[in-house]
Amino acid sequence: MINLQDIRDTARDLLASGEVRAVIGFRSGSRGMAAEPAFITRPEEADELVWDPTCFHNLALYLVEDRKFQAHARANPAAPIAVVAKGCDARAIVVLLQEHYFKRDQVYIIGVSCEGSGVLDERKLAGHLNGFPATSAAFDGDDFVFVTAQGEQRLPAREVMAERCLECREPYPREHNVVLGENRSGRELALPFAALTRFEAQSPAERWEFWQRHFERCIRCYACRSVCPMCFCDECVVDSITYPVTAETTAEEKANRVRWIERSATRSENITYHMTRAMHLAGRCVDCGECERVCPVNIPLRLLNNKMEREARERFGYEPGASIGGPSLVASFRDDDPGQFIR
Amino acid sequence: MQDNVYLPQLARVVRIADEVAGERAIKTYHVEPLDSAGFEHACGQCAMLSIFGRGEMMISIASSPLVKEYKQFTIMRTGRVSLAFHELAVGDVVGMRGPYGNSFPIEAWRGKNLVFIGGGVGLAPIWPLITTAMAQRGDFGDIGVFYSTRSSSIMYRAELEALRGQADVHLEGWRTHQAGVAAGTAEQTVTAENSVAVVCGPPAMIKSVIQNLCQLGFADEQIFTTLENKMKCGVGKCGRCNVGKDYVCVKGPVYSWAELKKLPQEY
Amino acid sequence: MEKILHKERLDDWIAALSDREILSPALEDGVWAFRPAGAAVRLDYPNTTQPPKGLAFPQREVFFSFEQVKGEAPLLRQTLPQVAQRVVFGVRPCDGRAVPRMDKVFSDHVEDPYYWARRKQVAYVGLACQQPPSSNCFCQSVGGSPVSSDGLDVLLTDLGERYFAAAVSETGKALMMAGESLFEAATDADRAQLQGAHAAALARPQRAVRDPDALPSKLKASFDSPLWEELARACIGCGICTFLCPTCHCFDINDEVTGAAPLKGKRVRTWDTCQFPDFTMHTSGHNPRENSGARLRQRVSHKFQYFHENFAMHQCTGCGRCVTGCPVGIDIVSVVNKVAEHAG
Repeated sequence: MINLQDIRDTARDLLASGEVRAVIGFRSGSRGMAAEPAFITRPEEADELVWDPTCFHNLALYLVEDRKFQAHARANPAAPIAVVAKGCDARAIVVLLQEHYFKRDQVYIIGVSCEGSGVLDERKLAGHLNGFPATSAAFDGDDFVFVTAQGEQRLPAREVMAERCLECREPYPREHNVVLGENRSGRELALPFAALTRFEAQSPAERWEFWQRHFERCIRCYACRSVCPMCFCDECVVDSITYPVTAETTAEEKANRVRWIERSATRSENITYHMTRAMHLAGRCVDCGECERVCPVNIPLRLLNNKMEREARERFGYEPGASIGGPSLVASFRDDDPGQFIR
Repeated sequence: MQDNVYLPQLARVVRIADEVAGERAIKTYHVEPLDSAGFEHACGQCAMLSIFGRGEMMISIASSPLVKEYKQFTIMRTGRVSLAFHELAVGDVVGMRGPYGNSFPIEAWRGKNLVFIGGGVGLAPIWPLITTAMAQRGDFGDIGVFYSTRSSSIMYRAELEALRGQADVHLEGWRTHQAGVAAGTAEQTVTAENSVAVVCGPPAMIKSVIQNLCQLGFADEQIFTTLENKMKCGVGKCGRCNVGKDYVCVKGPVYSWAELKKLPQEY
Repeated sequence: MEKILHKERLDDWIAALSDREILSPALEDGVWAFRPAGAAVRLDYPNTTQPPKGLAFPQREVFFSFEQVKGEAPLLRQTLPQVAQRVVFGVRPCDGRAVPRMDKVFSDHVEDPYYWARRKQVAYVGLACQQPPSSNCFCQSVGGSPVSSDGLDVLLTDLGERYFAAAVSETGKALMMAGESLFEAATDADRAQLQGAHAAALARPQRAVRDPDALPSKLKASFDSPLWEELARACIGCGICTFLCPTCHCFDINDEVTGAAPLKGKRVRTWDTCQFPDFTMHTSGHNPRENSGARLRQRVSHKFQYFHENFAMHQCTGCGRCVTGCPVGIDIVSVVNKVAEHAG
């Protein structure tokens, strides 16, 4: 079990010594029990930090944001920024390092092991609560313990744990500057790709029907993209909302920009959006599951990304987020790669 | 106005004039409604112009309301739709809807001195005022027209030159958008007393000109400008041009400095 | 008109309205949504993920289609929506109160023909909330109530085995008249039970925006507050808060081209949001709302200041969807309370 005080002490010491300029971690939110991202710069704020099963967020996202902010401000701060990172979050940081988004010494990773558990799936819990709010939550061995107005209740942990955590193969941040908690990477909660395997047992017609129904519902809020640390492009291929227009941008550049999809949230446009995103995540998605968690209309986006991940694993022996110095999936070629298209 | 506010009327481009060349070229268009119904407008109002397949853009109507047969638009080549306008030929048909927004209270300015300060393509929104005032020259006191531009190319050059004799026209050497520069030529020729100043141009230029006018003793109520926020619907619904409680497409684009000061600085 | 409807007769009432399209809350793929009513309508649901806003203001609306041979005049075909009469069951009072707010936006200055073509066809049968359907409900603090009939045509209140049905508009009366024989007269005892149920509903604790009447002036005074940037620090710039909001109405208009020669396409309205970074960006690249702090301020100020200055009411109806849906915990209740507190 991670001692929360260790996280706070680590953050406080890092800030007090000036070793880092800020710590990105989790703190209690104002709505219900869910934690929220915290950005602290003063040692005395370290006591705000929390660590519990509602620390869903992949905070690597804010390393990307910070980099963009520093670039915009033309700043190059000497001290790194520290981030509390779970196993999946740390893998995301590795991918960003592999892609040279920032340098290793610009980030200080406070690794936190999920040990035998992971994060909560709020939708699963809501199914058990019938609308009653819970005020606190913790994993206790194989149990999930939460408190509501009716008192303390227990559920088997796997009934409310996020699918991604059940299937996680590495709930431990291998890449870190400091790490808290035990390495329990060998734990067996569910088989890897279990949800995908169940899904793929269906016929292609059933699967197509499934995806049509789900994509029909997409409201194109772009939360899946906005929450993804890998979706850092200044200019996103699927829409214009982050297209950087400056005083120097010519009329031709604006006019000739290809509109791959329309803004209409229709099935065909939605499918194009999600398929394009999935392709761009091939070999990069570390299965933090944030896209699926944040989707307001519950589109099972993890299945798409898992599919790409499994392809990469089975056909190329590739695991995203495993090695900073290693080759990236789509930017490397080996003689024994399957398929003939590149030869 | 038509029942369906979003349905443009069709209009034919009857004249295209090159004003300024280059990357950000400026052209002037005369556009006549196909069904000849058209619409009346007031000085300062705008219209939504369409090129079908490219989209719509809000452009101020640059002709005087006294001109009934066509509407004049002066368009800088800067985005998707404006680029498409620059590729048009005389005779092409475009979409037009409007008029949108409020207007300059020119009726209240009769008997007063008028000072017009335009920067770049920002001369277009105040051009209907200038031409209307010149057409009714006797109704107004002194008229000064100041134009500045980043390049050396001056739009409406012939028209501006033609004003000389009836108005005090300054076309060069007046770089008011450089912060801190006093009103230069204007200092000698412009007085605040019984005057109204109208300024339109890039945001930075507007801000420094207003400062200069205030230094010259202009009261906030004597200074007018137009806000050019991004717009899509033109009828106060889509929310894009929202500044404080105002949808600029309805409550603007014309604001006195006194009114503008009450809005949040979000333009 | 006040009547009693036994719950087992709800489906009969719906059947009596069969010349209209009926929608009711349904759970599909884990999402509560207003869907075409099935055989057995149940109204014991929390709240829908999205409000019924889309019935009058759908995410996509085609304004007209165009066809143009190069060099010739285009042919425009206006596509005003032709929709059947619809009755939506189980609308929560917060979403009911959103209706007159949307009506104001789409009739102020000029009428929006597309909105009204749909809106005039929709009747709203509301359901009083006896338990706050979400832990982020705060309707009472923004002038609403869990039993408000504002904006609804009929308000149903669950009395155990029966509904107390109150028609609050002519449309509502007509709906109840269509199933007249199914309803029973409400007695004084029923009214007493209703009052008890409503009083109990009003007494349930909710979250609260503090001192809402002071918000317009406090927000005005806080425009330049550094708090906005701080409170928006975690914002990821997605559109959830506004796309789930019952009163957000911002939209985009684009031409969607489907053929090149002759040019064919449609001019289409789609929802848009002030939370997207390029929402206000000028073609010059100048962006009046450049950072997430300014965009959060816009969303909150529009709800609690600008709309109030124009229409003397808060635009927010306290449904709490933006709070529940935010991926990173940005919470409008806590945001306005903090800003107001800071304003003194």
